[in-house]
Order: sequence, then structure tokens, then C-alpha cells
Amino acid sequence: MATREEGRGMLATYDVTKTDKRFIGAHILVAVIALSIGSLFGPLQAFQFSGVDLYPYLQPVFKSYYQGLTIHGVLNALVWTTFFITGFFTLTTILGFKRGLRYPKLNRVGFWTMVAGLVMAAIPILLDEATVLYTFYPPLQANWAFYTGLTLVVVGSWIEGYGFFFTYRAWRKENPDTRTPFIAFGGLVTMAMWQFATLGIAVEILTMLLPWSLGLIEGTDPQLARTYFWFTGHPLVYFWLLPAYVSWYGMLPKQAGGKLFSDSLARLAMWLFLLLSVPLGFHHQFVDPGIPAGWKYIHAVLTYSVFLPSMLTAFTVIASLERAARKRGGRGLFGWVRALPWSNGSVAAQLLAGILFMFGGIGGLTNASYNVNLVIHNTTWVPGHFHLTVASAATLSFMGISYWLVPWITGKPLWKPRLAVIQTWTWFIGMLIFSNAMHVLGLLGAPRRTPLGVAPYVSEEWSGHLLRVGLGGAILFVSAVMFVWIVARTTWGKERLGANEEIEVPIAESEQDPQLTPLWLDRWVPWIVGTVLLILVAYGPQLIDQIANIDLGSGQAPSIRPW
Amino acid sequence: MADEQETEAEAEEFHPRGTVAILVMFVLAIIILWGSVYVILLSRGVTV
Amino acid sequence: MSAPNDAKRTLHIDPYEKNWMRISIILVIVFAAAVTVAGFALGFQVPSPEERVDPNNLTGPWENPGLRELSPGVYELYVIGNATTWQFEPRDVEIPVDSTVTIYVTSRDIQHGFKLQDTNINMQILPGQVSKLTHVFEEAGEYPYICTEYCGVGHAAMFGNLTVVEK
Repeated sequence: MATREEGRGMLATYDVTKTDKRFIGAHILVAVIALSIGSLFGPLQAFQFSGVDLYPYLQPVFKSYYQGLTIHGVLNALVWTTFFITGFFTLTTILGFKRGLRYPKLNRVGFWTMVAGLVMAAIPILLDEATVLYTFYPPLQANWAFYTGLTLVVVGSWIEGYGFFFTYRAWRKENPDTRTPFIAFGGLVTMAMWQFATLGIAVEILTMLLPWSLGLIEGTDPQLARTYFWFTGHPLVYFWLLPAYVSWYGMLPKQAGGKLFSDSLARLAMWLFLLLSVPLGFHHQFVDPGIPAGWKYIHAVLTYSVFLPSMLTAFTVIASLERAARKRGGRGLFGWVRALPWSNGSVAAQLLAGILFMFGGIGGLTNASYNVNLVIHNTTWVPGHFHLTVASAATLSFMGISYWLVPWITGKPLWKPRLAVIQTWTWFIGMLIFSNAMHVLGLLGAPRRTPLGVAPYVSEEWSGHLLRVGLGGAILFVSAVMFVWIVARTTWGKERLGANEEIEVPIAESEQDPQLTPLWLDRWVPWIVGTVLLILVAYGPQLIDQIANIDLGSGQAPSIRPW
Repeated sequence: MADEQETEAEAEEFHPRGTVAILVMFVLAIIILWGSVYVILLSRGVTV
Repeated sequence: MSAPNDAKRTLHIDPYEKNWMRISIILVIVFAAAVTVAGFALGFQVPSPEERVDPNNLTGPWENPGLRELSPGVYELYVIGNATTWQFEPRDVEIPVDSTVTIYVTSRDIQHGFKLQDTNINMQILPGQVSKLTHVFEEAGEYPYICTEYCGVGHAAMFGNLTVVEK
């Protein structure tokens, strides 16, 4: 409590307390532990594709490829991201507003709720009682603890979000006429979007999956469950990406020696993501039987519209970097790129993440393209694609952020900064090989979620690409080990930063005074109202129809567990 | 203050030509890669 | 920081960035047009609701899944996914070249996928729902149909074969 009052006293120069740093650090610790366990299974999948199946050797502990895939998906895509993101936004909230959290205890409750949920979900997964992959489509039935655990992780993230919103309200009272500082603003918008997005999965679990796994209802409606799931499933992608965008817009320009090119457009992009992230989930269900083609088409068009704020981001971020590079003496139409501080692992990671994400964007546009989706749906193209989004744009950026964040939290210098640069490049190269091979295999018709090393229908044509999947996976694994090792050695290193070498959190100024940004880009009500209305229009009729025609008899658990 | 004005003057002169160059290449990549999957769709036959 | 000046508060956009937004919007509109024409004029369509069934009591044509000739060269093919045996019912289908086949699929138990290689037939299979798409087979050869959704430990082995033979 005392720290908060102290913080209020020194508005402009809030000194981050040790407690703040420890709290953020706790998030990062859980995140990195999840990543290091989850990443053990990535190469097992990739090697399986290229004919080296290590799963039989893990037999007594890990039962199948699919259990490994579940662990990989849940830990890397859900746990590493959610913990890193909530920790990172705690930082952007505190440093953006230059004040402590309004109710630090509330955020603590949120964090520990997430930890409890994680433990609860992890137990059935490790016991092979929840080998349902991270989409857990019914009638595959996991142990009830799995669903409860996931619910607690989501609820915990909600509570952390409330903590940020209360902090914003307190800051707003103290600063009625100031534009919300960008990094804090980005975190708030993302957490607000997350509140809407997760309603789908919350309703799915609480009204169907949990009571069903407890034996309270006879079955599920698999189509309705998928509709609920993808209500959350697509904005989940933006929940992963937007923190990276916050760093690309609000921090990377500073690290590169420049400023944010356009404060207004950065904010506009964030608002558009709030508005458009949710009402487009049917583009994951183009081949579902129970949704009319017309509604699928509407969601395809809406998905095209969410491509625009990403294009805006591409321009604003690259222009910010170009300006910075030219200030550093960069010349030529493309030559300026070399003038960026590539020797800084944090910068290199985010630049390479951005490059990979450009290919992710192209794949995403393809996925969203209605009938074009028939070519690649449920093929290896899809994991190839999302390894460019969640595992590159988000994860590689988070790795880059860690390279200043961990020294800042621990007060210790980054262990082997040059190794950090090598780590980011190996991730980049491994991902290029892995992802390209997965995309090509998908176009050739290889199914996703399948141990292709043992599939009887694998054609000769696929074999070279299957080998490349293994090669890319091996490089990525080495890179992940390097990352975890650098973070661990930094954290447990003996050397401390001197009094005058303290790490400065990179917060970019804007070219234009943010006070000149139009007021409508700093108003919540119209954007929230718009978001709710658009969700109602895009989802309302189909949700009403599917709920009215619910058939719980059609999705009963099979009498024998299929895994 | 003087420094700030200098920055502003610079800002007026800055033309993000390199950004445009990169993005033009990006658009070409989008058209080629997306177009090639679209062609695959057309080559695999109608579904109704 | 100076007090906000209302006159300056309009959204200022760099002219290059404005043009970039125009290009992006045009790009998306062109793609949307291409997709729309293919979908609604040329017949490259995605599945739409066909029928609801009771997976525990599949009746009518589902009692004997397989091929039915409606008229010369026009067929219906009923396929059921099964996660107890990890097989499609039926596993093998043979048709003459130049046949038009409308494929109906459903599941006895959990979710499956149905992807007929080298065609645009790609469907999610849900218990209780029927997915339907059509293809005209103009070339003789083997067309494996593969389960593309995780359905248990036998998933990787789940596939069938549609053989198109010369007349």
C-alpha cells in the first residue's frame, strides 16, 4: 500500500518498485517455463514427420504423438503467450501511466488464479486424460479438471485486465486532458478485446463441456461448440499479436534510435482491432456443415477488413524504422535497412519477427478467402501459417522483448548479447524452412494434426518436404534452448548492473505530439458500442439459430476413449 | 526548443521512399502467392 | 505539453501512408471480387447446412453407405466416419471416368475430416450433421480420401480410396 501512495506523490517520475518488478518477473518466469517444456515436444512432432519417431522411447511417461501435440499447443500457444502478455501489459500499464497499479492485490489474485488454472489443466494433460489438442472439439471428452483449469486461466486473465482498467480510471482522474500514453493504451485495448473474445469459450465450457464432463448433461452439440470456440479462437490470434504490435509501435522505434511515425494511426489500428477481431470467426469454419454459406461469406468479407489495420501497421512501423535508420546514416532505397541496430538481439528479434509476419499475413489472407480455403483447410498449411503468427510475430518478438525485460527485472546484464543475436537468426532460419515446408505440404494435401511418419497414404512427392520439416524443427529447437539458456543465465548470473548502467525501458516518443491526436481516438464509448453492435450483427442470428436448434444427443462421448 | 524545431523541419522533408519500396515488393508477393493458391483452387474443379 | 488546440486536432495522415491505405483497400476488393465470382458464378462453393441426423441411429441411405447411381454418370456417395475402427465406411469406391459424384459424409461418433486429394472436396465431419460437396471426375486414377481431423490414436491410418476407371 505504501508503495502506491509513494508512486502517486511523484507522478511524472514514478519509480518502479521491487514489488512491481518481482510481480512482472513472476509472469515471465511461468511463461518461460511453459515455453521450455512445450518446446521439447515441437521437435518430436517435426522429427516424426521426417521418419524419426522418438515417442516410443517416451512411452512410459508420454503415451502418444497426440499427447505431445496437446502439450505443445497448450503450453506454447496458450500458456507462454498468456503469462508473457499479462506480465508485459503490467509493465506497459505501470510505465505508460507512470503510476503503480490501482489495486495491486487484484492483479495478484488474477495472476494466482491463472497459475492455479494452469496446474489444474496440466495434471490431466500429463496423465493422458486430456489428449484432445488445444481446440478440444467435443465429443472428444477430457477430464473435467482440464476444462476447469482452462476456465481459471481465462478468468485470471480477465481479473488482471480489470486491474489495468481500474489503474486507467485512476490515472484518467488525475490526468483528465492528457492523451492516454500509447503503450498503456495498447495494453488496455488488447485486454478489452480479450474480454469480448473469451465470452465464446467461457460459454462453451460452462454451459456444455464442463457439465458434460461431470456427467450432468448427456452430451454436446458439436457444431455449436465449434461456433463458440471460434468466436474466441480467432481473436485469440490478435491477443497474441497485439502485444507485439505495442512493442513494434511503442518501443522498437526507440530501440532503433527513432520515433513512432504516426501516433494517430497507431491508435486507429488498435481501435480497429478491437472492433474487428471478434466478428469473423466463421472463417475458421468454412468447411463446417452446420453454417450457411452466406454467413461464411459475410465473415470472409469481415476478415478482409481486419487485414487493413495490419497493412496500416506495416507502413507505420516500417516508416518509423526507416526514419530512424536514415538518422543513423542509412542510405539508398533498401540500403537503410542495414543501418538498423541489428547487433542488438532485441531489435534483431523484432525485425525478423516482422519479416516472418509478412508471410504470415499472406497466408492469413489466403485462409480467409472463402472458397480458396478449400485448398488448404485442415492441411499442414494451417500450422505452417500460425507458426508465422503466434510462433514468430508474437513469440520471436516476446523473445526480443525479454532481452531487455529480463535484465531490467533482475538488474543483471544480459548474458552473452551476441548469442542473443544468433538465437534470433536461428529462429528466423529454422522457421523459414519449417514453415515453408509445411505450407507446401499443405498445398499437396497433407493433413494437419497427423503423425505423417506413419500415415499409409503419404506420397513420394511429400518426402523431401517432410525432411525439411524435421530440419526446421531441429534448428528451432536449438534456438529455443539458446533462448531459455540466455534467460536463465541472465537471471541467475552473479554479475549485477552498476548504478549508472541501469536498463532503460524503451518507450518511443511520437513524431507528432500525441496531444494533437484527435480526441475521438482517445474515447472508449463509441468504440465499445461499435464492437458490441458488430458482434451482435455478425454472430447474433447464427447463434440464436444454432442455440434454438441445439441437439445435445448428437455429441455424446464415445463409449471407448479414442486415445 | 531549437532542437525540436529542427526535428519538425526534418519531419516535413522525410519521404518514406524505402518504406514504399518494401511495401510494393510485399504487395507483389501477396499477389503472386495468393494468386497461385487461387489458381490451384480453379484447377481442382467446382464443388456444386 | 501544450494545451490541445482544437483546430489542429484533425487526423493527420502522411500522403504516402494514405496512398498505401488506398492500395490495400483496392487489393482486398480485387481479391474479394475474385473469390465472389468463383464462389457464386463459377460454382466453387463451401458446404452449407444439408441435413441433421441422429449419429446413434443412422437411417435411410446411411444404413448402407456407399455409391448409388442416380442416372447414367451421376452418383451419390454416402460416407460415414468411424472412430472405433478408424475407418471410413466404405473404404473403397470405384466409378467410371466423367462421373459426377455428390458426396455426403457424417460421423458415427466424434469429429473427422474428409479431404479428397486433388479435388476441392474438403469437409469437416460432425456427428449429427451431414456435409455435402460435389465433384466431376474427368481424369482416371486414384483419389485417396483422408481423415484430416484428429480422431484418436488411429487417426493417421484413417483413409479410403476412390478409383476412377476408364470406361
